[in-house]
Amino acid sequence: MVADIALSPFITNPENLEEEMMMKTMSRKGLFALAMSLGLIAGCSSTGETMEEGQAGAAGAESGEQSGSTVYGGGAEDGISSSAMSESGRQQAEAAARQAEQQAMREITTFYFDFDTSEIKPEAREVLIAHAMFLKANPGRNVRLEGHADERGTKEYNLALGDRRASAVERFLIVNGASRGQIETISYGEEKPAVMGSNESAWAQNRRVELVFE
Amino acid sequence: MGQHRQISIIRFAQAILLLAVMLATQVARAELLIRITEGADSAVPVAVVPFATSGTMPPGNNISRIVRDDLTMSGEFRPLQPDKMLSLPATGADVHFRDWRMLGQRFVLVGQAERQGDRITAQYELFDVNQERRILGETASASVNSVRSLAHHISDKVYEAITGVPGAFSTRLAYVTLQQVGGEPQYRLQVSDVDGKRARIRLESREPILSPSWSPDGKKLAYVSFETGKPAIFIHELASGERTLLAEFRGLNSAPAWSPDGRSMLLTLSRDGNAEVYRMDLATRELTRLTNHWAIDTEGTWDPDGEGIYFTSDRSGGPQIYHKQGPRSEAERITFDGRYNARPRADSEGKYIYYVHQRDGGFHIARQNLDTGEQSTLTRTGADESPSLSPNGRMLIYATRENGRSVLTVISADGGAAYSLPAAEGDVRDPAWSPILR
Amino acid sequence: MLHGVIVLAVMVGWTFSPIQEPEPRSISARLISPQPVPTPEVEPEKDRQEEERQRQADEQRRQEEQRRLEQKKAKEEEVRRREEERKRQEAEAARKREEQRVREQEAARKKAEAEAKERARQQADEERRRQEAARKAEEEKRRQEEAERRRREAEAQARREREEAERKRREREQRLREQQLEALAEQAREAEQAEARRQQEAAAARAREARMASESEKFQALIRERLSQAWYPPSSATENMTARLRITLLPTGELSSVELLEGSGNAAFDNSALSAVRSLRRYPVPDDRDTFETYFRRFTIEFNPRTLPR
Repeated sequence: MVADIALSPFITNPENLEEEMMMKTMSRKGLFALAMSLGLIAGCSSTGETMEEGQAGAAGAESGEQSGSTVYGGGAEDGISSSAMSESGRQQAEAAARQAEQQAMREITTFYFDFDTSEIKPEAREVLIAHAMFLKANPGRNVRLEGHADERGTKEYNLALGDRRASAVERFLIVNGASRGQIETISYGEEKPAVMGSNESAWAQNRRVELVFE
Repeated sequence: MGQHRQISIIRFAQAILLLAVMLATQVARAELLIRITEGADSAVPVAVVPFATSGTMPPGNNISRIVRDDLTMSGEFRPLQPDKMLSLPATGADVHFRDWRMLGQRFVLVGQAERQGDRITAQYELFDVNQERRILGETASASVNSVRSLAHHISDKVYEAITGVPGAFSTRLAYVTLQQVGGEPQYRLQVSDVDGKRARIRLESREPILSPSWSPDGKKLAYVSFETGKPAIFIHELASGERTLLAEFRGLNSAPAWSPDGRSMLLTLSRDGNAEVYRMDLATRELTRLTNHWAIDTEGTWDPDGEGIYFTSDRSGGPQIYHKQGPRSEAERITFDGRYNARPRADSEGKYIYYVHQRDGGFHIARQNLDTGEQSTLTRTGADESPSLSPNGRMLIYATRENGRSVLTVISADGGAAYSLPAAEGDVRDPAWSPILR
Repeated sequence: MLHGVIVLAVMVGWTFSPIQEPEPRSISARLISPQPVPTPEVEPEKDRQEEERQRQADEQRRQEEQRRLEQKKAKEEEVRRREEERKRQEAEAARKREEQRVREQEAARKKAEAEAKERARQQADEERRRQEAARKAEEEKRRQEEAERRRREAEAQARREREEAERKRREREQRLREQQLEALAEQAREAEQAEARRQQEAAAARAREARMASESEKFQALIRERLSQAWYPPSSATENMTARLRITLLPTGELSSVELLEGSGNAAFDNSALSAVRSLRRYPVPDDRDTFETYFRRFTIEFNPRTLPR
């Protein structure tokens, strides 16, 4: 995890290298603890594609399919009961474990971003896929994606930035199985910080998209 | 007739004298010429003598004090504290220039206010100390309830007499305050005098209120309100309190900016996928998309001529300011210095744009000379936002952080002394300076 | 030349004069021609009266008759007498011829003698004349030579005098020239000294001026600094605005007068400049009076915000 962050392949703009490194360093402690507690370390080995702006949709779709197929295949929680009885209890146990794991992952509803970016971090992908799976499995459920920015920079630009972060997550969810009708996005910009304060730690926690299920 | 003739004789004599002087000058060695290309790096010392009063004045509305504060706020003046004055003349006859000179004062404002019924009449005179000359004298009156307006009027006149630019002290400010009330956020859209006084709440909401923008006639405000749970743009008529919902599209509805002719509004919408700047015809509500790029395009603001727009876009990687003449013309990048330049505001002469500029990790207000491309950082504070220019182009108000709270600060448009508006409870943000009100 | 011509004319006259002399022979021939003899004549008288004239006519006719008789007789007489006369005359003529012949012989002889004598005399004359001429020529020559000599002497004298005069003139000129040269040299010397003095003075002046200039620069900088601090350009000021003021100072540095030479077109700007200039109670000026007078008695200040404050 630490090495992955340090060697983050997501840095596409060398201009932002220093800043992004700083952001990562500052925010990684909290995230790391969170990830550890949820057994998310495995997720850190996800593919390291970049989300270039403008290609974000296409790239998201592509990678979404890729990661969807590689990581989760076509398997879903519902199909388990119809599998052959000849399958051992080991499979059942595995499925149950996976379900538990996914449910645990879905406990995570806040996703963090680097300064002035709307790229979904690699460690967030597994969780978002779990959410997409859930939405796909529960067409009746809706989710509101609330995009936020830290207090730095201008209010209107931060609104747009929150909007873009929410949109990035929205696309990722759709690519991974959710339907557009289930999702609503809203940007609050810098208006609703999660943490008060004008420091790197607060800022890192305020640059986020929150998933609110209704 | 005789006077006319006398004048012409004097003119003739002057001409002869001038000729003689010119000849003498030419004969003599080249006269020494000293060029002064820099002025004092400080505000003009001016003495606003407490006005003599007769009759009961409304409490808390000391005219000379309001004038003193106005002049201080402009950043261009350094009023003398009354306790340092050697005398307190109320009329020009009592002004002893030597005294004021000794105190280093450039100008002296003296006056007297008299109450007659519910009207207050002020008589005031402004003197140039070094030239020992009266440069302004006027009598003005207002109702008792409008003493502050009277004082701001005097400030405007004094300001214009000294600087050659009309004052903007009789204009208003719109801004948003944010307080935590019982653990809940309380957003309030307020309108006040430029000194923050006489503030009136126009809208109250638990959800964010953002980006107030004045109509060119100063009678309406457009703003973003989340009161419906989603961002929407409203037009608010100040006199009646009547509100109109202007835009509530899917996604973003932000950054309203009234056109100079008052007939259309710039908006940032993301209804077509990502943030773009649109123009809405206010009569027909018809939308014209002005930008079209996969990057963020927002914070549109009009050219002074109302033709092209300046806006913020991160198409180059980070937010920078661009200019676009029309929907189909190429966007021209304006800012290059630094990796974060956003929320432009053009001055009325089209000479400068003012914007938020990141430097050394902090955000400052900067301005760029559009002719030379030269950029100067105007503020020394570190989390500066929302620059808004006074209608005379001489003062700039912006939001900054002070002791963990957002406050409003006024500076002179070239970066002169900062004047913080008296802070209310909580945060004060998103200031918008009104046009000249008539 | 004139002398030459004279000499030549004299010599020519002398050479050709004998040839022009006429021969004396024709004179003697004229001498021998005879003298004519006059015959007497009677005038007939005229009648005074008619009767007289009648009577006279009768008388006359008788007389005439008589006279005719007489005349006839006279005529006969005459013829005989004439015969006689003729015979006598012939004799006379013969005698006369003889005489003539003798006389002619004598005359011829005398004439020859005379001629010889004359010739001798002429020769003598000639000789004498020749001698005289020679003498005269000699004399003339001598005279001419003398004249020539005198002339030459006179010329020489004149030349000498001229030369003397010329010499004197030259001397005078020389003296004059020398005097002039001397004067010139003196002048040149003086000029040189003056130039040296002037250069010295110029160098001193330059040094003084340089000193003054550097002194002036110093005070200019001081004034500039003071005015920059005292000037509050109004917010309406732009880089295009310029106000030019002429100020006059007292040697103490106090402002004597200020005049707006050229305004900026912006009253507030011009006022700011005027106010700045008047705000200095005392301008920093040099103590040196010359420097003050040269630079700071009166000068121009130009206000132009090349760089706007702040």
